[in-house]
Amino acid sequence: MKYISTVKGEKYVIDIDQEGRITVDEQTYEIDVQFLSDSGVLSLLLDKHSIEAIVEERDDTWEVLIHGELYTVLVQDERAFRLEKEQGTSFDVSGDAIVKSPMPGLIIDILVEAGQSVEQGEKVVILESMKMENELRSSRDGVVAHVYVSPGASVEKGQALVAISSPPSDQS
Amino acid sequence: MSREDLHSKKFDKLLVANRGEIAMRVIRACHELGIKTVAVYSDVDRKSPHVRYADEAYNIGPAPARESYLNIDKIIEVAERSGAEAIHPGYGFLAERATFAQACYDAGLVFVGPSPYAIRVMGDKLEARRTVREAGVPIIPGTELGLDDGELLEAAPKIGFPLLVKASAGGGGRGMRPVHDPAGLPDALDSARREALAAFGDGTIYLERMISEARHIEVQVLGDFRGNYIHLGERECSLQRRHQKLIEEAPSFVVDDEMRGQMGAVAIEAARSVGYVSAGTVEFLVDKGKRFYFLEMNTRVQVEHPVTELVTGVDIVQEQLRVARGRMLRYSQDDVKLHGWAIECRINAEDPYNEFLPSIGTITTVILPTGPGVRVDTGVFPGYEVTPYYDSLISKLICYGETRGEAVLRMRRALEEYRIMGVKTNIPFHQHMMDSHRFLSGSFDTNFVEERFSMSDREAPDALQAAILATLVAHRQGQQASQIVAPGERDTSNWKWLSRWERLSR
Repeated sequence: MKYISTVKGEKYVIDIDQEGRITVDEQTYEIDVQFLSDSGVLSLLLDKHSIEAIVEERDDTWEVLIHGELYTVLVQDERAFRLEKEQGTSFDVSGDAIVKSPMPGLIIDILVEAGQSVEQGEKVVILESMKMENELRSSRDGVVAHVYVSPGASVEKGQALVAISSPPSDQS
Repeated sequence: MSREDLHSKKFDKLLVANRGEIAMRVIRACHELGIKTVAVYSDVDRKSPHVRYADEAYNIGPAPARESYLNIDKIIEVAERSGAEAIHPGYGFLAERATFAQACYDAGLVFVGPSPYAIRVMGDKLEARRTVREAGVPIIPGTELGLDDGELLEAAPKIGFPLLVKASAGGGGRGMRPVHDPAGLPDALDSARREALAAFGDGTIYLERMISEARHIEVQVLGDFRGNYIHLGERECSLQRRHQKLIEEAPSFVVDDEMRGQMGAVAIEAARSVGYVSAGTVEFLVDKGKRFYFLEMNTRVQVEHPVTELVTGVDIVQEQLRVARGRMLRYSQDDVKLHGWAIECRINAEDPYNEFLPSIGTITTVILPTGPGVRVDTGVFPGYEVTPYYDSLISKLICYGETRGEAVLRMRRALEEYRIMGVKTNIPFHQHMMDSHRFLSGSFDTNFVEERFSMSDREAPDALQAAILATLVAHRQGQQASQIVAPGERDTSNWKWLSRWERLSR
């Protein structure tokens, strides 16, 4: 069976139909994979190179921990990959980028107001959580379309805080 | 202050007024000394190891610290109910609140730590400065308390620029403003005072000379009720981010035997100036010319105490317990010899690739590094939830070597072995630091992490392997899912099912 697996923006075409072998981007490797109980710990021998890793599913992607580094991998079979390609990637219904709260916490400050231009990486919200003040930044250049919360508000993980639309020049 | 209001007595049962790794640390020391332990826990900590390892455990309320771990009345009540005769506060929470130490004394309980007086004096930055200066301890040149803006503006040129506007009640960088020229001073005074008032309810500010390219080096001291003091050498704590220490080591790259002796003697004088008893830490700023200035004294056991334990062989928490039981220190200064090198990495639940944002979630898998020269102090386990209620420290990874180089190599190896899944951790940050030339050459100051260290040049060497592993697991899951569904549909023909099964597992 063929899969298209994406990690760090890189796509790998992986064919795992053969016994004891795997083909990645047309290069074939000898593999032996062993699952250590159900804890997600795996031992992989890839052309005799030994790699221990932990693999867990999270929000439709796979998290793989190797040598201290955490990789997020999107695994799609050919059909799912083609389907997504045809549809194109949808951003957000309104086209706005939403700054969401990455964790539950308390809004300390909102540094922008509706109508204001922001640059990618600009501080937008200060959120206090785990005894620390955390700076949340805009993921793109644009204009603040909406501010959903005010200072002092308690927010949940994933809650929308600020919407940022594309700059006016792009829309005209 | 007098020694009469302190008290110590032999005790056989102790309450640990804390959670997480430090509660575990105290429980272990108690059990080694044959002292029974009483744990307290909030609603979310029932399954935590400090509850499981203690001899007794009592729920003290909801998750928010102010309703549980900061609830003095409740903790004293549990001590009385359980028959505990002493309380160890750990670090954080109530450890540096003079009112808590006082409440323990008032209830006839031994407080494992210094007197309420020592906690109070050292907890007030200006009073601490004044007290230690009178004892001959060098302090960073600055102004007195209670000056108005006019007097501060007048005093500034005498201190020299750049300088810092600081809040008397400040901490964690709040209420602090760097000022590089006289023109910027009035605004800085205003904003520092406003921030201090908002954060601490006290708008008292003062000026202090800014030491550039400074290192943060601290000295561990121990004192007993007979007035004996020793120091256990220094810890290098310059690698910080937003005033949170990330990596500590002992000894320091820049401190030689002579300087260590001088810093130690000064640290002991600072401790003696408040009649200090138990373990304490005197923090210094060290400038380029290796001149050192008193910064503050932490009146508790420190997070980073293990690096000192590894290079001196002294069990600091056991020593705290002995002293609190009325015994003399086991060591004289001549007994204290440094041997080898130790490094500690604080493993936090935060994302080093995304502004070190805390990572909330449930830890699913933990595999600890082991082997020669590796120590892990931790309070988390598979199933542990990292919540917004407490700090993000998952564990402390401490490595020892005969030399600094050996300690670094061990740390690299241990970081690679450490597996924590479920939340993001700053392990890649530590790995990147252990590879950096600046760290290896020991040339860094307190601004290094924030100003000159970046994760963006870190490579991801195992991306291909990650892709393969994820694909293999996804494939296996797909297979299993169809096999689970399959038996229910097997009513028509076993042969049909078999051929399908063969196709799937081909």
